[in-house]
Amino acid sequence: MFDTTALNKAIEMLPYFLNVLGIGALTTIGLTAAAFAVAALLGFCLALMRLSRSRILSLIASLYLEVFRNIPILTQLFILYFGLTYIGITLPAIGAAIIGFGLNGAAILSEVFRSSIRTIDRGQSEAAFSIGMTRSLAMRMIVLPQAFKVAIPGMANFAIGLLKDTSLASAAAVPELTFKAKMLVSETYQTNLIYFLLATIYLILSLVLSHWAARTERRLKVVKEN
Amino acid sequence: MGYGELWGATHVELLAAAWATLQLAFGALVIGLIVGLLVALARLSGNRAMRRAALYYIELFRGTPALVQLFIVYFSLTEIGVHFSSFQAAMIGLGLNAAAYLAEIYRAGLEAVPKGQVEAAKAIGMARHNVLRWVVLPQAIRIVLAPIGNVAISLLKDTSVASLIAAPDLMLRAQDLSSVYFMPLEIYILVGAIYFALCYPLSLAVRMLERRTRH
Repeated sequence: MFDTTALNKAIEMLPYFLNVLGIGALTTIGLTAAAFAVAALLGFCLALMRLSRSRILSLIASLYLEVFRNIPILTQLFILYFGLTYIGITLPAIGAAIIGFGLNGAAILSEVFRSSIRTIDRGQSEAAFSIGMTRSLAMRMIVLPQAFKVAIPGMANFAIGLLKDTSLASAAAVPELTFKAKMLVSETYQTNLIYFLLATIYLILSLVLSHWAARTERRLKVVKEN
Repeated sequence: MGYGELWGATHVELLAAAWATLQLAFGALVIGLIVGLLVALARLSGNRAMRRAALYYIELFRGTPALVQLFIVYFSLTEIGVHFSSFQAAMIGLGLNAAAYLAEIYRAGLEAVPKGQVEAAKAIGMARHNVLRWVVLPQAIRIVLAPIGNVAISLLKDTSVASLIAAPDLMLRAQDLSSVYFMPLEIYILVGAIYFALCYPLSLAVRMLERRTRH
């Protein structure tokens, strides 16, 4: 099994593998970032809808949440992919993936945002009202800046989950990290080495992400103590 | 062909596949509960090497996608002579993945019981196993039940990933059927509805548990 010719061949191919996987990793990072942006924007709207006094808005947001949280993301991606084609919109696979992960992520992030806003003491907004701030101003100037700090760990967890979930886009032929790895395997049959590299790259990316989040959280805490 | 007709033509196969999905999720959950407990005990043990090994296990499985883990269990292990069917590989891979999350849940549950209670129980002369049985576990179980329910729901949804290593689950059946009937959108919507019907009652149960633990 460990004859040296096979090992030499694997070592020879290593730069090529890393090159291809590196490009895939960049696509994965881009896909994650774009989907995160969509999810944050839409998730924020959903959180406000759920917290709003309008019962209809809050009901719509709850329904959205239940549907997206109780169906596998892979199924959602396929429905979106074929649904878009059905109504005559042809997007490149990566575009559909950004929308799919964004719509799904919005359901998760809206819960993170909502619970963070809820943790802010009511006295804060009451004080803001009493000095004459409107509801929206109090939200923007008083509640949200504080809620943002509370939301960071939840957002980081979501980002790491998203990064890993983007591997599912390989099923829709998005040329991201996992897809590139599958191509390399069928091209060279170096299954073990390639999947080992694949797992290592994901591990590095998620560790970097979680350290970065922890640092941001620490830094904001110091500001709060001052 | 409308949804009613399509359902009439495919429901036998879809429901059989949904049953396979449930079996897959249940098997993976059992593996996860057992392995997760071992990892949690290692994480809390007095031995430093054990603690470190458990930590690496958790970081490794939580830091990589379940799909990649399934690839490794299914394709890489075959290469070194360990053979699993795609269904077995999916069950093992998803179970080991869930174990990493469950280990942290167990740990949080055990650590949530105040140390003073254990000391008090020991002070009145309770044996170590009695302390665990009558003081720590009854409280810890109440704390971990809802989070375990959440893992079960994720697991049920994640079984769809098994279709990507061709394990015969609901998603794989959906792919087959959509190429038979040429109605991919309709089939995937039906399948989405089946997943929803499986997951939603679990979600409601977990929410009820969460509400009960909070009060």
